[in-house]
Amino acid sequence: MMLEGSRETMDPELYDRMYQDMREQLGLDKPIYVQYFSWMSNLLRGEFGVSSVYKQKVINVIKTPMMSTIRLNIVSLVIVFLITIPLGIATAVRKGSVFDNVVQVLTIIGYSLPGFIIAILFIFVFAVKLRLFPISGVSTPGVELTGWAYHLDRAYYMVLPITVMVFSSLAGIVRYVRATMIDTLTMDYIRTARAKGLREKVVIYSHAFRNAMIPFMTILISWFVSIFSGSVVIENIFLYNGMGRIMFQSLMQQDFMVVLAMQMFYVILSLTGYLIMDLAYVLVDPRVKLS
Amino acid sequence: MSSKENRKKNNNGSSFKEMLRRMFGLGPKHELSILEEEQMQSPMRTVLKNFFAKRLAIVGMVVFAIILLTCFIGSAVFPLDRNYQDATQQNIRPGFNFMSVPGALKNNASQIDAGSTFGAGIDNNGSLYLWGTLSNKLKAMPRGMGKIAQVSCGLDHILVLTEDNKLYTWGYDRLNLDKIPEEAQDADIVQIEAGHQISVALDSEGRVYIWGNQNIISISPGKYQGTIEKITLNTTTALAVTRDGQVVCMTNKETPFNAIPDEVQGKAVDVVSTDKTAAAVTEDGYIYLWGSFPYNEDKIPEGVQGNVKQLVAGRGHFTALLKDGTVVSWGQNNHGQANAPALKNIEKVFTNYYQNYAVDSNGNVYTWGLKGYLFGTDQYGRDVFRRLLTGGRITLTIGAISVIISGILGIIIGGFSGYYGGKVDMILMRAAEIVGGLPFLPLAMILSYLIGNKIPETGRIFMIMMILGVLSWPGIARLVRAQMLSAREQEFVTAAKALGIKEVKIIFRHILPNVITVALVNLTLSFATSMLTESSLSFLGFGVTEPSPTWGNMLTASISTTVLQDYWWRWVFPALFLSIATICINVVGDALRDAVDPKAGER
Repeated sequence: MMLEGSRETMDPELYDRMYQDMREQLGLDKPIYVQYFSWMSNLLRGEFGVSSVYKQKVINVIKTPMMSTIRLNIVSLVIVFLITIPLGIATAVRKGSVFDNVVQVLTIIGYSLPGFIIAILFIFVFAVKLRLFPISGVSTPGVELTGWAYHLDRAYYMVLPITVMVFSSLAGIVRYVRATMIDTLTMDYIRTARAKGLREKVVIYSHAFRNAMIPFMTILISWFVSIFSGSVVIENIFLYNGMGRIMFQSLMQQDFMVVLAMQMFYVILSLTGYLIMDLAYVLVDPRVKLS
Repeated sequence: MSSKENRKKNNNGSSFKEMLRRMFGLGPKHELSILEEEQMQSPMRTVLKNFFAKRLAIVGMVVFAIILLTCFIGSAVFPLDRNYQDATQQNIRPGFNFMSVPGALKNNASQIDAGSTFGAGIDNNGSLYLWGTLSNKLKAMPRGMGKIAQVSCGLDHILVLTEDNKLYTWGYDRLNLDKIPEEAQDADIVQIEAGHQISVALDSEGRVYIWGNQNIISISPGKYQGTIEKITLNTTTALAVTRDGQVVCMTNKETPFNAIPDEVQGKAVDVVSTDKTAAAVTEDGYIYLWGSFPYNEDKIPEGVQGNVKQLVAGRGHFTALLKDGTVVSWGQNNHGQANAPALKNIEKVFTNYYQNYAVDSNGNVYTWGLKGYLFGTDQYGRDVFRRLLTGGRITLTIGAISVIISGILGIIIGGFSGYYGGKVDMILMRAAEIVGGLPFLPLAMILSYLIGNKIPETGRIFMIMMILGVLSWPGIARLVRAQMLSAREQEFVTAAKALGIKEVKIIFRHILPNVITVALVNLTLSFATSMLTESSLSFLGFGVTEPSPTWGNMLTASISTTVLQDYWWRWVFPALFLSIATICINVVGDALRDAVDPKAGER
């Protein structure tokens, strides 16, 4: 509670003058686009502004959550890839088999379920019924851990969010890998490779898969961008201190400096994503030349 | 191999025709010759033929149609009062057992009372029966009570009077509700009443004993202590009839119940009250009402005045037993509690909350009113089934309209972009990349927050449609553009140009019909996506907000151990309906896409 200079105790005229002075000083009297450009120019100089809730520089507020989110997403990315690529190839090779049909039906169900319903189901089974994992949080509260124990504790809290993220992105990618693999397997060069008498493994993994990688790169990057926005839901369900959670809280507390910085991060992320995608085409497909 | 496949295909074709004929009365009525068989089919027919060849897709379509119809017709049949809440009906599990009177009591009943979600009754031998949705504490009936003379049910507790004049209470036991006063145990009790966390007993000397939570309901007998003949409780206070026929209101506060009409004073024999209305019955069978009348309680049906033998009251309705043995109910009717059946020879009626019981001269029990909830109730006592229907209607409407918005935008932008090419294409496609490249959920959250705070709650539904529609057009625009690029080089476009037809007309009247199928199929799939996005947004609190229900925001409160474990019906049903609806749409969309794109069928 401020005792001096509060609105109630001050002379109204003096208060009003000071208020206007302050507005001018902060540049709040200027039109919105001028304010936006000044914010942008500050941003380019690395100034994100000050959070009105945390009374700290925005960059400090979002540093830790950003690392948490990136860790969460990278781990789930790796796991998703370890599962989807073999599964996608296996279903493509055994197209029409019972195994393939079962996977097909499961994946339709998988990508139709929203992430939060998968999360509710997993929390119900693993946290409420079996009590294997904590319901929410980032680490065990009130415990100071160092070294391995610290990382193990973090990992323990990450298991359920990551499982949910993996499950909700698995289906779409398996379908995509399968589709591109099937397309590639009908190509003439595959027939040629088989006619040469190459072993089926070599045909699939060396000839077909490398070519299937090309369209696959597209989905990879756009999916990686989309899981960042998808993790907004997951982080809020698991109260995981990531960017989505901070963004949600900042919106609720009207801490717009943090929200703006957050949105800027998402935009930069997607732009870099698309740039990497273009570059990756060159790496994967020697036929593409940058002009 | 190939002959086998051919046969299979033929089979498929003929079974498809069979089905079409059965389903729509379409299709050829006579066998076709080979020439006719080989005739060209319109693309739409091929698509339909391919689509109906898939059994899974048909199942999906039928299930989705059922959900759609259930939601739209159901929400019209069971309209939802969005602001309705009921503290007495919170977190009730699904079932219809509120009035399932045990068989042993059915033709042998002496007294019955209803609690919020349960009932209790005494048969002529003095044994007590409980039924309905009972909490564990309510099930823990004390042993060895002996013969029961009277029973009264409150919100969540039961009070009984035995024939050897002992009081027992069980159920909700906080707020001193389980502490029966010593004097009451010793007194000669003639009437007991259990109310909203409060219990009252009246002895033969006209003295009232009160225990329980007196913060909500304030009762002070004051100078009437020792003169009371009959007492009744409601959620505000207690009303009583004294020995000399006076009606008194036992409160020190100003309540609508203080305005007792002068006509009844001195000749009242009974007083009953709902939450808002009080009624006194006189010796000659007339009813006098006072208080407030939110549910038309003052519209007493014809033929009641002057014929009342017994009058009872629920939370918002009255039930009267007339001298000719018939019953009449009126007042609040949200659970059908005022729909009294045509009964004869009724001797006693019992009502509380939303349940009615009538006992005829043979001891048979008749019931009407609230039996229970199909899908239970939520934390505010709202019917989950009704909210599910209306929520489904809102979710499906938002999904459909946002898809229509994005479809129109996408087709127009894609159409212009693909047809004109060059600079127009450049600009429009860069715009599409910018909009499509932004992470969707954070942007939608920000937009919803900024716009949503400035508009009323009902406007938010429209806002979410707009946000979803305006942010998701790039996909469809890119698709239409790609189709447009190949279509604009074809002869019929050149011909149309040569005829001097306007370019806009060429795009939308000549080319668009050729490319629209692919666009429509993709819109089917994005219908599911926008339903999911809406649900996610509403789940987070940035979409449609309470009290309007959607399948997403009905799940918001379920992320807690208590709800997940104990109140499963609050999350299982919305999650199930949302999942089934999106799975069905995706199955149908997938099948449609395969049907439109013959190459995709090989996958």
